[in-house]
Amino acid sequence: MNEPAPAPVQAVEVSDVSKRFRLELNRPTSVKEAVLSFGRRDVRHLWALRDVSLAIEKGSFFGLVGHNGSGKSTLLRLMAGIHRPTSGRITARGRVSALLELGSGFHPELTGRENVFLNGAMLGLSRRQMAAAMDDIIEFSGVGDQIDAPVKIYSSGMYMRLGFSVAVNVEPEILLVDEVIAVGDEEFQQRCLQHMERLRSGGTTIVLVSHDTALVRELCDRVGWLDGGHLRSVGDPDEVVDTYLVHATEPS
Amino acid sequence: MAVNHTDPSARPLRLSPAARTSARLVRSFAERETKALYKRNVLGWLWSLLKPLTTVAVYSLVFGVIYRATAPPTANGQAEVFALYLFSGLVVWNVFSTIVNGSMRWMDGVSELRKKIYFPTETALIGGAAATLLQSSLEALVLVLIMTVLANVSWTLVFLPVAMLLAAMFALGLGFAAAIVNARYRDIQHLTTIVLSVGFFMVPIVYTPDIVPDRAYGLPVARIVELNPLNSVIAVARDAVYFLETPDLADLATAAAWAIGTFAIGLAFFRRRSMAISEEP
Repeated sequence: MNEPAPAPVQAVEVSDVSKRFRLELNRPTSVKEAVLSFGRRDVRHLWALRDVSLAIEKGSFFGLVGHNGSGKSTLLRLMAGIHRPTSGRITARGRVSALLELGSGFHPELTGRENVFLNGAMLGLSRRQMAAAMDDIIEFSGVGDQIDAPVKIYSSGMYMRLGFSVAVNVEPEILLVDEVIAVGDEEFQQRCLQHMERLRSGGTTIVLVSHDTALVRELCDRVGWLDGGHLRSVGDPDEVVDTYLVHATEPS
Repeated sequence: MAVNHTDPSARPLRLSPAARTSARLVRSFAERETKALYKRNVLGWLWSLLKPLTTVAVYSLVFGVIYRATAPPTANGQAEVFALYLFSGLVVWNVFSTIVNGSMRWMDGVSELRKKIYFPTETALIGGAAATLLQSSLEALVLVLIMTVLANVSWTLVFLPVAMLLAAMFALGLGFAAAIVNARYRDIQHLTTIVLSVGFFMVPIVYTPDIVPDRAYGLPVARIVELNPLNSVIAVARDAVYFLETPDLADLATAAAWAIGTFAIGLAFFRRRSMAISEEP
């Protein structure tokens, strides 16, 4: 592989993506109920995303803003491969490391260390690669000796810190972050931000979902605003955030 | 698939990156299951033998001693031990039933995780099945040791692991389907328990195939027992470890066809449906 491959400019490409969720009120949870409620099912569909298209340049810091329920997290999950789009295409080029919600992707019964290996395996890293990164991960997370305790006994802060520590120490090519930084204390938040800056200068593409518009303005190169599943605008952070805020304070 | 996670820097290796990831995950889940079984107990490995050995003892008492069931003689004619005849079938049955039941549990164990991170979910079930095979090989080892003491061993023993593997694949195929359905309808696990306890008596484990009547209560009983997919795999195991004969090719082919077919269909179904389960609220 000495041929220099043409470097893809877009790390994430979202083309005409729609996502529909199937919601069922009083969904039967047993065969017995299913038989009894036959023909009387209340199924609804919810479009979480509608015809969203956007491209995120490699090495850039992209922000997503919008109200609760606007589809930000759904879009992030689609990028992470957790959900499949109902229609459209999503292409993510490179190793995706996602930090969604608290304690992203930990198995409660396993110890912190075992979870680090399991997470690494899910991201396509070998045990040797994870063992090499282990010290950094433990140090950054600050969980100390508790690394060998099952994560179910961790405090929410420890959970979060270890999750973040894994996500950023696996040398991700694309890092997806959903609102989690707000959970840690001031000092940890600062360290997270510094670390994300470092990753980004190393070429990592970062997609951040946040309600903290000041943070989004400060960090992001480009911002997208989602409203009711539609991408209302994409572009310069200040412009997009301003429009979003005007819209947000308008009585609807 | 609409989501392509391609790694442009990936070096060409023997296995594709996706296959390597799956292999690592299977190993991780197998280790986790093995630890869960044995870590909590100093005598864990011995402890795991307690249940199968108790089953052998109880059924031997009821059928061998009380009902005076007789087993066909072993290869060297030294032993007509009902308990060993029973044990040789039970080893395979345990692989089967543990995996079918376990599949639903292994699925539940990772379904929350799967909502937060993408990974091929079937690796959790395959890992669990691998751990079960490991545990069952301990049972098989005990059986072979007893046979060694009785000087009833031969090269045909190599077919015992084959039978166990085929039983595991067959079970995993059913387990894939059961896990998906159970994720929606929680009473499937109870129904499975019932079906398995009936199934146990539908295969010649506590009895020999030749004592089954052709017809009873208007049902072609012998035919039902004969057509049971597990019948052939248990026959292979018995030939391998008890009668020390080369397994009947027809049995081997039937067992392999059921195992591979069920596994392939179950896996395809699982892959189609498991994505939807990760989307449930």
